[in-house]
Amino acid sequence: MKDLPQAVFVVDDDDAVRDSLKLLLKSAGISSEVFASAQEFLAVYDAAQPGCLVLDVRMPGMSGLEMQHELNLRGAMIPVIFITGHGDIPMAVEAMQHGAFDFLQKPFRDVELLDRVHRALARDTETRARLRHTDRIRERLASLSPREREVLDLVTQGKANKMVAGDLGVSQRTVEIHRAHVMQKMEAGSLAELVRMMMAVAP
Amino acid sequence: MLRAAMKGPSHNDIEIGDGNGVEKKGGTTRIRTVIVAGQSSQRTREVLHALRGFQNVIWPTSLESALAQAGSGDAACLVIADDLREEPIDEFLQEARELQRNLPIFVITAPHDVAEAVSAMRHGATAVIEIPPSYAALCAEVSRAMQ
Repeated sequence: MKDLPQAVFVVDDDDAVRDSLKLLLKSAGISSEVFASAQEFLAVYDAAQPGCLVLDVRMPGMSGLEMQHELNLRGAMIPVIFITGHGDIPMAVEAMQHGAFDFLQKPFRDVELLDRVHRALARDTETRARLRHTDRIRERLASLSPREREVLDLVTQGKANKMVAGDLGVSQRTVEIHRAHVMQKMEAGSLAELVRMMMAVAP
Repeated sequence: MLRAAMKGPSHNDIEIGDGNGVEKKGGTTRIRTVIVAGQSSQRTREVLHALRGFQNVIWPTSLESALAQAGSGDAACLVIADDLREEPIDEFLQEARELQRNLPIFVITAPHDVAEAVSAMRHGATAVIEIPPSYAALCAEVSRAMQ
């Protein structure tokens, strides 16, 4: 499936800030969408849309920190760059502890914000690629029969076919056949690759 | 790898407290330490003074020693009390974090230095505490880490 194009979402109650950020991002060739409130953004937010968020901390109604909390509850992984004119250390620490990508104090230089935005977009791309990878592994795992899954679990624990056969009460030849099916269904070229796949989806 | 030594006593790491902060588990005694990293400065002395009520507070004489203590598994938490002379705090934080993924690391910073606080958080600090006004927040964090 082809990815949607990335966009920067700007949420700030100040018209002038929204307009200037939109212009700045446009000048850098970055597409953006602006919102005057947290509620306005949350009403249309689609987690499938790649991008990052530039979020004002202090807004009437729902604050930026409250909106971050809401996004966390929804399981959103969009990188959040906070911007504020009245930031303090406890506020910045709270935002970072809850997973903010960055926290910038106004006034900031255009280049500073653009640098953070580029990095946040790169982070989003990486996260989405990692998730696609683990989703593929989970799909392959779901295609295994219960017996194949047992064999997979035992071989990735480092057990030899003979030991697996003993554990499952089947012949070594049967284990070899299941193991071949596992490698094929998981599209793994080696046991090491299989182990890496299992580590990638481990809780 | 960090190599620079913090300015401090040239003999063994300094232990503060009465040494009875012990955890008995399965017949063995495990001593959990609070590691303070920082050069010999007014700020570091204040931090050590604020933590005097905790057992097994140590002030390693070098960054290497602090990292070794942090990675030993007996550490309850690491407190970066002050700047570390030639070494950037962020680098030190990152190394400590790599050694002990779950170790609580607290960084003391000057008031209003939001950029430094954000950078410390990005490099692995658990919390950043501004001093002044008081060390109460640090003591509360260390208490939680000791539990």
